[in-house]
Amino acid sequence: MLSRFGAFLRSSIGKKSLMAFTGLLLILFLIAHVVGNLSLYADGDGAKFNAYAAQLEALGPLKLAAELGLVILFGAHIALGMRTYLENREARPVRYKDLAPKGRRTLASMTMPVTGIVILVFLVIHIIDFRLADFSKQGLAALVIERLSHPLGAGIYFISMGFLGVHLWHAFQSLVQSLGFRHPAYLPAVKTVGMVLGVLIAALFATFPILCLMFKGQWPWN
Amino acid sequence: MSGGHDTHSHGLNLTLHVWRQKNAQDTGHFETYSLQGISEHCSFLEMLDQLNEQLLREGREPVAFDHDCREGICGSCSLVINGRAHGPDRETATCQLHMRRFHDGETIYIEPFRAKAFPVQRDLVTDRSAFDRIIAAGGFVSANTGSPQDANALPIPKEAADLAMDAAQCIGCGACVAACPNAAAMLFVGAKVSHLALLPQGQPERRKRVLAMVEQMDKEGFGNCGNIYECEAACPKGISVENIARMNREYLCASLTARPQGEAKGGF
Repeated sequence: MLSRFGAFLRSSIGKKSLMAFTGLLLILFLIAHVVGNLSLYADGDGAKFNAYAAQLEALGPLKLAAELGLVILFGAHIALGMRTYLENREARPVRYKDLAPKGRRTLASMTMPVTGIVILVFLVIHIIDFRLADFSKQGLAALVIERLSHPLGAGIYFISMGFLGVHLWHAFQSLVQSLGFRHPAYLPAVKTVGMVLGVLIAALFATFPILCLMFKGQWPWN
Repeated sequence: MSGGHDTHSHGLNLTLHVWRQKNAQDTGHFETYSLQGISEHCSFLEMLDQLNEQLLREGREPVAFDHDCREGICGSCSLVINGRAHGPDRETATCQLHMRRFHDGETIYIEPFRAKAFPVQRDLVTDRSAFDRIIAAGGFVSANTGSPQDANALPIPKEAADLAMDAAQCIGCGACVAACPNAAAMLFVGAKVSHLALLPQGQPERRKRVLAMVEQMDKEGFGNCGNIYECEAACPKGISVENIARMNREYLCASLTARPQGEAKGGF
């Protein structure tokens, strides 16, 4: 059983399938994450956002399990991405003078390793900023607004969300293909849903640095 | 010459940068050649024939390149022309590419298909026997089919027959590998897996076949698929990347459900 799973994971298609599967779960995580974050906009003092954070904290061991799950998901996705990137480089030891497009490549599909690495760097910054920081005094909402009201913080978050958007632009239809679900009947829908979903997730996340920079938490609609 | 378009009487004047490599151990380099008066009606390979005649006249070593049928069905010809496998056109092998696609005074870079699994043997000639070993691993039906049977004895849905024929169009040239930014062979193996998996004759060995072919593909050192689909755009036979999705699903199913040999006793 284990050796069978091991052989599957060592194979090129196994690696791609697992990358696709972890990618799908990470997209679901991002949706939950961004929807939760939107509670920051619900009031002027961040009480709803802090309450949401406190609710997650109150889950205790469940929250720990969820975090462990995320570490495994991100870890597997990143490790597989790096491994396949290195293998792909090795698969063409002598490069072309200039491999020109034949017509199907996109900016997003060609830059998955690059956008992935930028997102990884962002992830480290993000975890240091908000997961490992001590916000017991001012509360998480105040910390988020403080970080993102600074031009440097806002800039890092905004640019990183741009890279996330490009990564997600290719991600969804790619994972459908990797898991073998492609069919001409629903291919156009898969492409559209994937692109809209990717842009929407990244754009919603990107509103936080923009609006924090503009309003410093004093939302005009409150 | 009166202008770039008046090439009927004068022909094309070209600057070629051709990859020259003595053998598999040599590191290789580009060499530059000037060709005058090439007819726009001749094929790309005929242009190379004329280059070689010129080189022979000058007492130099001609450029080695693969070719055979010169009508787009054997899969021998290769070449990456200005960074594109089989040149600029869709569904066109290098042998079917005409010099009318180039203009007078153009500079053309000619390289071999580049992949670790396709080592260069000499100049533009690569060893593509990795594909043969993938076929030998499982790209066939081993059942003895006997003498020809009645055409309707084995019903095959029209759609399955058409999809199988679309996959069977693959001529095994390796352009998919050459055009892939990752040097992956997924389109070739996907086509070969699909071709037999879609037909009733392929059913008995369906799972064994995909497992063996993918294992051999990985052993040969091809890259991983990034779903960039340049393979489909470069394929001279227009094989769809749907075949890669089918292979992925065949492989997933086979990996998850294959039984150890001899586990089922067959009633004894």
